[in-house]
Amino acid sequence: MELPKYFLADLPSEAELTPTILADACETLKRNREIYLPEWSTTKLIAVFDQLGRDWLDPEYPFRKLALEQGPTATGFSRATLEHGLNSLFESLTSRALERLIVQDLGHLDRFDGFQASEVEPGNGSLGRTRGPELIAQISAGLIPNSTVLTILFGMLTRSAQVVKCASGAAFLPRLFAHSLYQMVPKLGACLEIVEWRGGDSELEAVLFEKADCVVASGSDETLVSIRQRLPARSRFLGYGHRVSFGFVAMDVLSPSLLGGVAGMAAADVAAWDQLGCLSPHVFYVEHGGRVSAEQFAEALGRELDRLEQIQPRGSLAADQAAVLRTRRGFYELRASALEETQMWASQDSTAWTVVYEADPLFQMSCLNRFIYVKGVSDLKQALEGADAVRHKVSTVGLASAGVRGEDLAGELAAWGVPRICELGRMQKPPLTWRHDGRPALGDLALWTDWER
Amino acid sequence: MAVELFELQLEGVAVYRAFCRSKGIRSGTIRDWREIPALPTAAFKEYEVSSLGDDRCAVFYSSGTTRQTSSRHYHSAASLEVYEASADAWFRRRVAARMGGGRFPVLSLTPGAEVAPNSSLVHMFEMVRRRFGDSESQFAGRVDSEGAWHLDGARAEGALEAMRMRGRPGMVVGTAFSFVHLIDWLRDQGRRTELPAGTLVMETGGYKGRSRILPKTELHAGIGEFLDVPGERILCEYGMSELSSQAYLEQGVFVFPPWARATVVCPETMREVAVGEQGLIRIVDLANARSVMALQTEDLAVRHATGFELLGRAVVSEPRGCSLMSS
Repeated sequence: MELPKYFLADLPSEAELTPTILADACETLKRNREIYLPEWSTTKLIAVFDQLGRDWLDPEYPFRKLALEQGPTATGFSRATLEHGLNSLFESLTSRALERLIVQDLGHLDRFDGFQASEVEPGNGSLGRTRGPELIAQISAGLIPNSTVLTILFGMLTRSAQVVKCASGAAFLPRLFAHSLYQMVPKLGACLEIVEWRGGDSELEAVLFEKADCVVASGSDETLVSIRQRLPARSRFLGYGHRVSFGFVAMDVLSPSLLGGVAGMAAADVAAWDQLGCLSPHVFYVEHGGRVSAEQFAEALGRELDRLEQIQPRGSLAADQAAVLRTRRGFYELRASALEETQMWASQDSTAWTVVYEADPLFQMSCLNRFIYVKGVSDLKQALEGADAVRHKVSTVGLASAGVRGEDLAGELAAWGVPRICELGRMQKPPLTWRHDGRPALGDLALWTDWER
Repeated sequence: MAVELFELQLEGVAVYRAFCRSKGIRSGTIRDWREIPALPTAAFKEYEVSSLGDDRCAVFYSSGTTRQTSSRHYHSAASLEVYEASADAWFRRRVAARMGGGRFPVLSLTPGAEVAPNSSLVHMFEMVRRRFGDSESQFAGRVDSEGAWHLDGARAEGALEAMRMRGRPGMVVGTAFSFVHLIDWLRDQGRRTELPAGTLVMETGGYKGRSRILPKTELHAGIGEFLDVPGERILCEYGMSELSSQAYLEQGVFVFPPWARATVVCPETMREVAVGEQGLIRIVDLANARSVMALQTEDLAVRHATGFELLGRAVVSEPRGCSLMSS
């Protein structure tokens, strides 16, 4: 299947993207938005997105097939990892979930279409309707498509035109998704542009930031600061900085009969997107006192990662990346041979997966690509003390706990400032209604008109 | 010989014994030098990798700054003799041979041994000065109160000027960052020196955050511009405090002496890669008598038929996931 050249990112690499071309493209998007988007009701948009979600789950859908065929080369993920990741993303994209999201973030499903009163707002006769920015510039980072795809859809819901700037070499999946949208409804696709350049191109970015009235950016803190400094005062800026995640396994699920299942869920979280996402765990804290020890959990996690490697292998790595894993592994191999409180389990003849057990509760940044730390702790309090250095950088905590204790643990995590708590095995599968880094992703795009009747 | 030395090190170096035991390797199980387990160089940071007891008389630290734990390589009088025998023999053949016979002036841009007694590099330069240098030889670096090295620009400039006036070719040796400092100094002073034809420059080591990082070609161009030493008279050395032998660059490829073998291993399988492929450098250095001879480094290289092309340290790059990679 040959993709048509609808988007600037489709142009051959020798075609140079100039500030003038980009400026023209932005103006075209704005015009298309004015012409095409008003005729689209929220209900109609939801129906399109729901269909798109179902199409992407269909094994015969040409765009999915292309993603799985060319994805391993284009993204570095194995076919099975891509399959798994795309399934998680598009299973969440249903009309029911979209309706829930809108009601959650805006109080009423039809607030983009007209003045509405929400059922939960006080009956003071005041009505509200929302609209979106004219042109959203999305600065997307990395290879995991979830956030990029959802921001595209949320931008459509707010009836905004959108330019998605992908990191260089990372446009493959966003491009395919944009093409699938274009093919389904060309008029919607005409309000979207996909571009790719190496971040920091000040001339192109100056044009983009001048034309857009809202910038949604993912990136390191330095990237976000740099972007924010270059925005005109009228621009709205939504920045999603780098986050880390970890898991907590409470003692009440540490029994011989539950061990395999819990370790399997933990392994799925490590394997999803090869652990490269902000929602991927770096560390599993395992509570002492269960019938199964933290070391035994680590060993079981190794077994599960090994099993997953057979069916959902980690992507192949360039030598320098594999060298990082190998070097880190060598370090722990050494420690494990000298210290009892360090142990390591690892794949043979490859760097495919590594589990390091340490008694020390200090949070460790993993080198990722399925390299996971397990740390024994006396309780959640000790785990949170160990993770203090990343306290304001945490995205997700995967929690394995049974019964009523979960509520107490969740309360403790919330008080500590964790924006998202989920079951183990779902860390990389947030629902559509997820509040991204603790903020309503759709709600933050919306602008309001209140009518105090 | 390697296998015999392995047995001795297995017996004498506790951390190595534990490391080998964890791999199921005991005395008598190794028959070929290629099977000798390579100890990660990180071991020198965490543990005492040494079979020496009270006879220790020197310790070399890696050039890591105070921010990091340094590697420690212990020596006795006897092991230092082995070190010097190894360093001398290969230097003589690969470097000094290019200076013709006799003694020559050696300007080292590093501090001298009296202020930097724990640097294996300085120890080697001091040995070079002692064995090859003439009376004009000197060190032009200094050490600050925190242990960081600096170049005494005026002193280096004076020494270069003296070399130029005498008109006899000499050697300028130093770390890559000390040459950057020298170039910066000369540029700031608006000075250039035309060193006598035949002068040799030898640069070694990385930067470790101590100066601007210059790509090798730019560094060599700078040396050419400010010292008037052509590219073919600039030598590169690869060494580390954990080793007792050094490799010199020859036609783009680092070559160790015959008693130190470098292999390039695939980071996935840890088996030797084919010629032209990338991997991690593993070294078996027979001159590392009283520590561990088989070392797994963290350096990436491309294997060549005659040696390896150094690519540099494997560092954790930005994850390719969501937020970190945004360029």
